[in-house]
Amino acid sequence: MSARVLVGVKRVIDYAVKIRVKPDKTGVVTDGVKHSMNPFCEIAIEEAVRLKEKKLIKEVIAVSCGPQQSQETIRTALAMGADRGIHVDVSGKDYENLGPLQVSKILAALAKKEDVRLIILGKQAIDDDCNQTGQMTAALLDWPQGTFASQVDFQEDSLKVEREIDGGLETIKIKMPAVVTADLRLNEPRYATLPNIMKAKKKKIDTVKPSDLGVDLSSQLEVLSVEEPSQRQAGVKVETVEDLIKKLRDSGRI
Amino acid sequence: MLTLTQGFLRFKPTLPGAMPIRFAQHARFLVVAKYHTVECFSSENDIRKFIVENTEVVQGNHLTPEIKMRLFTPKCRFWRARPELWPFSDPYWAIYWPGGQALTRFLFDNPGTSRGKKVLDLGSGCGASAMAASLRGASHVLANDIDPVATTAIKMNCELNNLKPLPVSVENLIGTKAEDWDLILLGDMFYDTELSDGLHSWLKQCVSTHRTQVLIGDPGRANFENHKIQKWLRELAHYELPLCVTEENYGLTSSKVWEFLP
Repeated sequence: MSARVLVGVKRVIDYAVKIRVKPDKTGVVTDGVKHSMNPFCEIAIEEAVRLKEKKLIKEVIAVSCGPQQSQETIRTALAMGADRGIHVDVSGKDYENLGPLQVSKILAALAKKEDVRLIILGKQAIDDDCNQTGQMTAALLDWPQGTFASQVDFQEDSLKVEREIDGGLETIKIKMPAVVTADLRLNEPRYATLPNIMKAKKKKIDTVKPSDLGVDLSSQLEVLSVEEPSQRQAGVKVETVEDLIKKLRDSGRI
Repeated sequence: MLTLTQGFLRFKPTLPGAMPIRFAQHARFLVVAKYHTVECFSSENDIRKFIVENTEVVQGNHLTPEIKMRLFTPKCRFWRARPELWPFSDPYWAIYWPGGQALTRFLFDNPGTSRGKKVLDLGSGCGASAMAASLRGASHVLANDIDPVATTAIKMNCELNNLKPLPVSVENLIGTKAEDWDLILLGDMFYDTELSDGLHSWLKQCVSTHRTQVLIGDPGRANFENHKIQKWLRELAHYELPLCVTEENYGLTSSKVWEFLP
């Protein structure tokens, strides 16, 4: 009951927005585009709040790394039931270079600072699809990890995690402290209603800098080019099966 | 200010029941003078009308079925609307906070706590604790809330319960010279550090000057649980919150009453 849980919430371009690549191919257009919480992070927050409602944990801390606007994402997490927020202020060039490794270092440092027993993250973000932050965070802390969780059960000082793997489900038991990453079927996140949104305004968000946490944000990765997926070519209609086979032969497919 | 008016027009179709133009016009003023809403409405009747139209009379869906109150419920059209469409400052008076519920339950169950006493309900909101103190025989009750709209809401809630409207003050009393209150009630007031620090030192002064009894209702908010005031608290009561209350307060399932003993 005394455990604290840290949940990462990433601000990403809303899933319903049509993504446009910048003409110079350095990235995608983000200015004036609607952003919201990464859907897998919503699932992570929901799971943490449910654990709190079952009185299995004491406090849920929502953390987001990014510019000032990341606080809106934290507010959403608070409206969903998180107790307090931490905004790790990263902007400008540092924000452009911010990848899973840098975020993992920040999360690992915060986990130690806040003395948390469990970190719950989305399995991946819908913008970069990296699927690395949970794994890297566990490695940096040398904690066990339960990734792609579709069910989490508390068992005293350990967790039973059901994982979605190729061809079925795998159930593992891991000792806490641990890192869990949420898969799509873990739960269905709640809707933040107006009373909860209003009450969330009274919850506290602390702002820290990566340097306060002793984290170096330098990156070894260089983005060479960002391009749109190639356009699907129009097909052709054939009249008979014979025509189809001939077409396939001619194009060397069979 | 313009955005809000445009917002009304743009989002109007998503609201069940169209927003009367009158309020859209008010809204333009209200955003500019967010904390002076009363002056912007032409009369208290306008505010009353707005409260009637946008709240529901609730009895029994909380810890104290003894009293009725006009509250924000899922039947109200703003429940699922975008928060920026709400034309007032945040209607904390339309919410029966879980800390206030525990405190009010405690007053009903322990009539001796307020009987014959001079009582201050600080951050009164919907006025539930103030009404309970009055119904249990307090000699004088002052409801205090810095939101002027709460003044009207508290009056209306008193009327709903056939109580003579309690005196209400909108002055921020925290930090002022301690008056000779017998009992100070605080429901859900420890939500941020700055406010908690100010309250803590002011309450210490009230207790040392007038031996005021201080009761705090709180559902275990992180800021309260981590505040230094915890060293001087004694738990008086613990209530599990009904399901409908937990749904309005994601993450919270119980609420406690504490006495502050510096």
